[in-house]
Amino acid sequence: MEHASVPAFWYDGQTARRHEGTVEWSGGNDLRLRGHDGSLINVPLADLVFVERGVMDGSYSRKADDGFRLAFTGTVPDALAARLPGGQKFGKWIDGLGLPKAAVLFAGISAALLAIVLTAPTWLGPRVPPSWERKIGDAMLGDMGNRLCHTPESDAALKKLVERLDPDRPITRVGIANIDMVNAVALPGGQVLVFDGLIQESENPDELAGVIGHEIGHVRERHVMQALLRQFGLSVLLGGINSDIGSGIFGVAAMSYSRDAEREADTFSASQLERSNISPKGTADFFEYLKEESGGEGQEWAGWIASHPMPKEREEMFRKAVVKGHAYTPALNKQEYTAIRDACTNDPDVEEFDIF
Amino acid sequence: MDDYSANAGSVDRWSPPAEEQSAFGFHGTWREFAPIAFTNLLLIVVTLGIYRFWAKARERQYLWSRTRFIDERLEWTGTGKELFVGGLLVLALFLIPYFIATQVGQAMILRGEKVIGAILFVVPLVAIFYLMGVARFRAIRYRLGRTNWRGIRGGSDVRGFKYGWSYMWKTIAGYAAFGLGVPWSMVSLWNERWRAMSFGPMEFRCSADFSPLMKRYMLFYLSPFIAIVGIVAIIAAMAFGLQRDGGFDPENPSIGFFAAFIVASLLFYFVLGFVWLAYYAKFFRVVVGHMELGGLEFEFDAKTWDWIKLGLGDVALLVLTLGLGFVFLGYRHWKFFVTHMQAYGEINVDDLTQSTTRRDKHGEGLLDAFDMGAI
Repeated sequence: MEHASVPAFWYDGQTARRHEGTVEWSGGNDLRLRGHDGSLINVPLADLVFVERGVMDGSYSRKADDGFRLAFTGTVPDALAARLPGGQKFGKWIDGLGLPKAAVLFAGISAALLAIVLTAPTWLGPRVPPSWERKIGDAMLGDMGNRLCHTPESDAALKKLVERLDPDRPITRVGIANIDMVNAVALPGGQVLVFDGLIQESENPDELAGVIGHEIGHVRERHVMQALLRQFGLSVLLGGINSDIGSGIFGVAAMSYSRDAEREADTFSASQLERSNISPKGTADFFEYLKEESGGEGQEWAGWIASHPMPKEREEMFRKAVVKGHAYTPALNKQEYTAIRDACTNDPDVEEFDIF
Repeated sequence: MDDYSANAGSVDRWSPPAEEQSAFGFHGTWREFAPIAFTNLLLIVVTLGIYRFWAKARERQYLWSRTRFIDERLEWTGTGKELFVGGLLVLALFLIPYFIATQVGQAMILRGEKVIGAILFVVPLVAIFYLMGVARFRAIRYRLGRTNWRGIRGGSDVRGFKYGWSYMWKTIAGYAAFGLGVPWSMVSLWNERWRAMSFGPMEFRCSADFSPLMKRYMLFYLSPFIAIVGIVAIIAAMAFGLQRDGGFDPENPSIGFFAAFIVASLLFYFVLGFVWLAYYAKFFRVVVGHMELGGLEFEFDAKTWDWIKLGLGDVALLVLTLGLGFVFLGYRHWKFFVTHMQAYGEINVDDLTQSTTRRDKHGEGLLDAFDMGAI
């Protein structure tokens, strides 16, 4: 039978007094701590846990009392050492696998997660039923209160234009936002907003048709849903749920689609114009105008242009789509176009749109 | 290095030695710490940050074990798991409700329900304010509860909810009088939170007074005005000088003019930072200098220049390693803290019995979420 007597010191966890003495072991399941001061403590081996005291030595605590500390100052015989518990280095799972294997495993899992979260918008976005998207959007945005400009005439004109552009659309609604900026956005839930500033800069209803067609394209191609998913996924993944996600809608409103998405939306717009017999020339003229204006610095639409393909390229796309000699119908008649232009001035109870 | 092997076990009372040896000592080396830091970094990266709770526990285990108080090392008994649980609690109890409240608030504002929307925005902000105080309190409590010295730990009998209210009203009161009450609120809050803490059976006492801080605070308070006047004068002089040379056109200033302006602005914030450190160094010396525990008195001897060196060192470390050096920041700060900490008086090891304070099973989740330091 093994027998060992090893010099050691210990703290009993009751007072800060340090006890020195020997640890006696007779091969059984208990250690006897015999202090030079005559104290005697019995400690079951099964009750010990290893704690790191430093790189040079380890010490042992008790499951029952985490103030207890035992540190050997002499050599522990192998037979006893084999019965003593081991410690953790990186944590239970990682120690079990070994650091390199664990690191590779975790990296693999993380990469897979990243891949899912980064690609999910592309394959998941189009599979979300439009009715859900509408509900999500409504929950986020509501009906915008009185911030949209309405007159009976402008509502009718806008409705006619949207009906012509995309009669089959499942969820899209188009409104005029009382904001003096040259911009238009597609928001969650199929809510397309044309800013009054853009309407005032336009010269004819065909220009408006091209821009609205473009934004409807974002909704129809599910870009909005994809952007929502992307933003949500990234904020969860990056643990940034506490930082910027609070600005969710504003983020979505300002979100930039990829240039590919912009091209898709332009293509959609062009094909809808053709389908509804509206001339793409107005849209081409609008981009030409943007191109010239963007030469100067500090224009208010500079931001809009940054995330979009170059106006020149877009102008050419729409310009090429014009069929010479074809008899196009204007998108709206003069009265209807005027009604839209005057919607914000003539709406008696419209409010300032101050969230942007 | 085995300084604990001194015959401390046979003495009843232990008086800290004469001035040449401080009661606190740090004998870690960055070479010894590097394997811990780099494996932590690796695991943090491959787990997308989740390992940081365990990394923190490993780091503290090392730092504490290399810290000597009188004749025995400190020991960190906290675990990564409990920090992780703390983090999950914050996520469930705080971040998710906060996220929902702000989203609903936005939706309400967009629907024209401005009052409800504003309430949904403001209430979470007030809650954050309150919880920041609670979190700071609980982080100290947690760290004391997980710090062992000779098998004895610290803690607090209260849970910090009342301190959260003190934190709110004292902070507001401090800023209310044009910010002139800030030193008072900082010192008063320090006293309040440390008086609630204990180690073993002994309670911390702290009765610092804010008035010695006012001189340096006024320096910080007034320096922006002095600096703005100075900068305006310099720019005016330069503009004037250039004009006399015939080269300055106010409608079309030269690049040099802008450069001078930018350098002046940067210098302004830099100098302001230093002035704040001068105040903060004094603050720390004053509050720690008034702390007592049983028969021990504490002192903190870092001067303004020491703090500046610490800050510049941190910046250099981060810049030179493109940010990866952050794994060494904890080491640097702990070393700074320990090497400048002093204690005088005596301690009776038989009177230092085990703490009876309650310990929570989770770590400093809130504090971690707000990314604040404990002390």
